[in-house]
Amino acid sequence: MNARQRGDRRTALLYVSPALLALGCLTVYPGLWVLWLSLQHRIPIFDVDRFAGLSHYLFLAQDPRFWNAGRVTLVFAAVSVGLELGLGLLTALALRGQRAGRRLALALLLLAWALPAVVTARIFEWLYHPSAGLVNLLLGGRTINWLGDPALALPALILADVWRTMPFVALLCYARLLGIPPELYEAAQVDGAGRTAMFTRITLPLLRRILLIVLLFRTLDALRAFDLMFVLTGGGPAGSTETLTVYAYRSLFQTLQLGFGSAISVVVFALVMLVAWSYLRLLRRQRLGA
Amino acid sequence: MSRQRAGGGRHLADAAILLALAAYAIPFFWQLLSSFKVDADLLHGQLVPARLTLAHYRVVVEQSPVPRALVNSLVVALLTTGLALGFGGLAAYALARLPVPGRSALLLGVIAGTAFPQIATVSPLYLLMRALGLRDTWLALVLADTSFALPLVIWLLAGFIAEIPEELEQAAALDGAGRLQVLRWVVLPLMAPGAASAALLTFLFSWNEFLFAYTFTASEPARTVPVALALFPGVFEVPWGDIAAASILASLPPVVIIVVFQRLLVRGLLAGAIRE
Amino acid sequence: MIRALFLSGFLLALVACDSAPPAGSPVTLVFKHAKILGPADPLPRLFREFEAQHPGVRVKSESLPWSADEQHQFYVINLEGGSPAFDVMMLDVIWVPEFARAGWLKDLTPFVDRTEFAEHFPSAVEAASLDGRIWAIPWIMNAGLLYYRSDLLTRYGLRPPESYAELVAQVRRIRAGESDPRLDGFLWQGKQYEGMVVNMLEALWANGTELVDASGRAFPDPARAEEALALRRMLIVSGVSPRWVTAGDEELTRRAFGDGRAIFLRSWPYAMDLFQLPESAVRGKVGIAPLPRHVHGARGAGATGGAHLGVHVRTRHPELAVALARFLTSETAQRAMASGVALNPTRMRLYHDPELTRTHPALPAIRALTLGARPRPITPLYPMLSVAMQPELSAVLVGLKTPAQAVSSAQRRLAHLLEAIPGGTDERAPTR
Repeated sequence: MNARQRGDRRTALLYVSPALLALGCLTVYPGLWVLWLSLQHRIPIFDVDRFAGLSHYLFLAQDPRFWNAGRVTLVFAAVSVGLELGLGLLTALALRGQRAGRRLALALLLLAWALPAVVTARIFEWLYHPSAGLVNLLLGGRTINWLGDPALALPALILADVWRTMPFVALLCYARLLGIPPELYEAAQVDGAGRTAMFTRITLPLLRRILLIVLLFRTLDALRAFDLMFVLTGGGPAGSTETLTVYAYRSLFQTLQLGFGSAISVVVFALVMLVAWSYLRLLRRQRLGA
Repeated sequence: MSRQRAGGGRHLADAAILLALAAYAIPFFWQLLSSFKVDADLLHGQLVPARLTLAHYRVVVEQSPVPRALVNSLVVALLTTGLALGFGGLAAYALARLPVPGRSALLLGVIAGTAFPQIATVSPLYLLMRALGLRDTWLALVLADTSFALPLVIWLLAGFIAEIPEELEQAAALDGAGRLQVLRWVVLPLMAPGAASAALLTFLFSWNEFLFAYTFTASEPARTVPVALALFPGVFEVPWGDIAAASILASLPPVVIIVVFQRLLVRGLLAGAIRE
Repeated sequence: MIRALFLSGFLLALVACDSAPPAGSPVTLVFKHAKILGPADPLPRLFREFEAQHPGVRVKSESLPWSADEQHQFYVINLEGGSPAFDVMMLDVIWVPEFARAGWLKDLTPFVDRTEFAEHFPSAVEAASLDGRIWAIPWIMNAGLLYYRSDLLTRYGLRPPESYAELVAQVRRIRAGESDPRLDGFLWQGKQYEGMVVNMLEALWANGTELVDASGRAFPDPARAEEALALRRMLIVSGVSPRWVTAGDEELTRRAFGDGRAIFLRSWPYAMDLFQLPESAVRGKVGIAPLPRHVHGARGAGATGGAHLGVHVRTRHPELAVALARFLTSETAQRAMASGVALNPTRMRLYHDPELTRTHPALPAIRALTLGARPRPITPLYPMLSVAMQPELSAVLVGLKTPAQAVSSAQRRLAHLLEAIPGGTDERAPTR
C-alpha cells in the first residue's frame, strides 16, 4: 500500500468515525445492553437489581398475554400489509394515466402518509367515537363502539394503519409503472392480448421486484409499529390490540419492570431481524434468478 | 390502461381520480372541520355545522403546551437533520468512494440498522440518558433521533454519491484540488438534491417521532408535539375540538413538505426503495 | 469626612441587611395536577392567596392527562429519571406508598402535626404513611357508593337494595313496569383501567374475600373470588348492565345516569352535585346508598379513593413546597374546594359544616358512607398488582376467559412479579 492509499484509508476512517461513534453508542451498545437487561430482575422502585437468568423468557414461553400479543402482532402485520399492497397497487394503476393535477393528486395521497402517527390516532379516535364519530354517522346513526368492542378494535386499528401506509405503496408502484415503456402494451395489443392478460403478463412481472421491496419495508414497519396502537387504544380492550411492542412498553414504563420488559423487546428485535434477513435473502435470490 | 383517450374523457377521468383521492383524505379534512365546530355541534354529531368558531385554536394557542411543543419539535427536528446529514454525509462519501476497512460489513450493518426496532433500545437509552443527566433535554432527543435516522441517511446518500461519475472528482483532483475542495465544489453541488431529499425525510421522521420523545421528556416545556398531543389534558371529558385544533397545528410542517417540497420528497422515498 | 464615613457605613449596612433574594428573581413552584372541572375551578384563587402570603413566590400549575393510568405512567417515567421539574404533586392515594418506597417523595414527618392529622379520615392517613413516617398530606376524599333513582324506587315501593340479588330483582321489576327499552339497569365502570379494578375489588369484598392477602398471595379464596367475578359477567350477559359498561368509565356512566337512562349507578361522590344542577334531568330524583353485598359478604363496601399532595424529594425549594402542600390541604382551602366543585375534603369535620351542608345536603350521608368504605390494599406494590390484574379481570368481563381461568392466570402472573421482589408486600422505607 502506497502513501496515497494509506492517506485515503486514514481519511476514510476519519469520515466514517463520527457516524460510527454515534451508532455505536446509541444503537449497538444499547442493543447489547438490552440483551443483558433481559437477563436481570431490574425494578428500580423496589431497588431490585439481580441476575435472573432465563427466568423472564421461561415465563414468557407460557404467558398467555405474550402469545396473545404475538398473535395480535402477526395478524396486524399480515392483514395490514396485505390490504396496503392490494389498495396501493390499485391506486397506482388508477393514477398511472393521470395527466392533469398530478401534483395535487400526489399531495392528497401523501397527506395520510406524512402525518405523525399520533395525529392519525387522534383523527381516528374521533372518527370512531360511538355517538359523534363520522363513521357511525355515515352508518346511519348506529352507536357501534368501535374501539371498545374486543371484536371490532383490531379491525378498526388495522383500517387506520392501512389508511396511513397505503400511500407509500401506491407511490412506489406508481413510480415503477411510469417507467414501463408504453410500447410494450401497444405491442401486446397488436398481438390481441386483453386487459387482464396485459396486466398479468406485462405489468405484474415488471412490478414484482418493487412489490417485494415494499413488502419488506412494510412488514418490518408493521412488526415494529407502536405509536398508533399505543395512542389509539392503549392495547385494549382486553388486550385485543396489544401488540408485542405495546406489551413491552407497558411492562417497561408503567411499572418500571426493566428486566421483564427488555425480554419482550428482545423478542421483537429477534422477530424483526429474522424477517429482515429472510426477505433480503429472497430478494438476493430473485435478483440472481432474474 | 394507457390508451389514448379523447381529451374530454381524460379530463373526466382525471377529475374522478382527484375526487377519489380527496375522499381518501377525508379523515384529515373531517378533523380540520371539527377543529372549527362548536362543542355542541361536535358532541351531537352535526355533519354540517351552522356556525364556525376559532375558540378551539384560541384555547390551544393560549392555554395549552402545544405552541411551546411546536417550537421544541422544530428545534429537535432541525438539529437532528443537521447532525444526521453531517455525520451521515461524511460516512456516506467514505463508504462510496474511499477504501474503508471492513466496508462490506459496515454496509451490511447500516442496512441492518434501518430495520432496528425502537422498542429494543428505549430502555437502555432511558437508563443512559438518566445516567448522563440528559433527561428532559433537547440533546437526548436529538441524539436518539439521529441514531435512528443515520442508517437510512447513510444508505441514501451513499447511493446518490455513487451515481456521481468518479471522473468529475478525478478531473478536479488533477486540476490540483484537495479532497475537501473536491467535496465542497464538485460532490456537494451534485449531491444537493439527494441530500435535500434525505434531509426532508429525516426532518419528517424527527417531527413525527413519538416513542423516544414520550419516554425522555418530563415537563411540559420540554415536550415535542406528538407527546403534547398524546398527553393532551382532558377534564373528565375529552376535549375533541381542542384536540382537533392541536392535531391540525401539529400537521402543518408535514403538509408544507408534501405540498411545497413534493418532488424532492418523492425522489427520496423512491431512491430508498429502488436501490437495495 | 466623618459624615461621609457615616453615610457610606449606613449604605453598607443597608446592603448587608438585604439578605432576602433580590426582587428580580421570583421563586416558581410547579404544581402538577389533574385538571379540575370547568369554570368553578377553585385552584387559581387558592394559588393567588398563597402568593399573597408569600411575596416573591409564583405558583405555576401544570395539568396532566385525565386518565389516572396515564398520569401514573408519566410520574413513574419522570420521577425515576430524576428531573426536578416539579415541586408539589397531586397523587392518587394508591400511588403514595409506591412513590414513598421508590424514594421520590420528601419525608414530611418533621413538618406535620400528628394531632392535626387525626382530623383526616383514618384510611387517608394510613395511605399517607409508610414505615411509620408521613409522605403525603391528604387532600381529596372519595368513596364508592350506589346511586339510585329514588323516584323509580318509590314508585314501586322499593328500598335501596342490600344485596345484588335484590338489585337484580329490582331492576327486572322496574324495567318490566316502565317498559322503556332504553332504560338501563345497573351502570358501573368496566373499561380496562384502574377504575375497573376498583369495581372488581368492591365485588370481591361484597362476597367476603379479597384480591391479595397480607402475604401477597392473589385470590386467597379462589372459590369466592370466582363467584364474585361470575356475578359481574352475569350482570352483563343477562342485560342487567348494558354491554357497553365494558367500555365505561366514570364520565360515560355518569352521563348516562344523569340523562335519566339508568336505575342504578356505582360511582364516586362527585357525581351527586352534577345530578343536582338546575339543568339536570334527574334533579331531585337521586339517592345514595351503600353498595350491596353478595352471598358470602356481611355487607357491601365501597372502595376509598382520592388524592394526596406530595413534595418532590429533589425540589429546589423544600420549605416553600411543603408550605404550599400544607396550605392547599388546610381546612380553609378544603372548604373552598368543597363549596365550589364538590371536591370532597379529607377533613371529617367539614362534612358537618353548616355552610357546606346548606349547599351540599348530601355531605353527612357521604361522610357515613366514607367511614364504612375500605381502602384498596395499602402497599407499595398495589399499582403493579393492579396493572397485572387488569387484563385478567377485563377478560372475564368481555367473556374471553372464565372466572376460574382468570383467577389462576392472575395468580401465576402475580407470583412471577413477586419472585423478583424480596420481601413481597413488606412495607419498608426507601433506602435511596
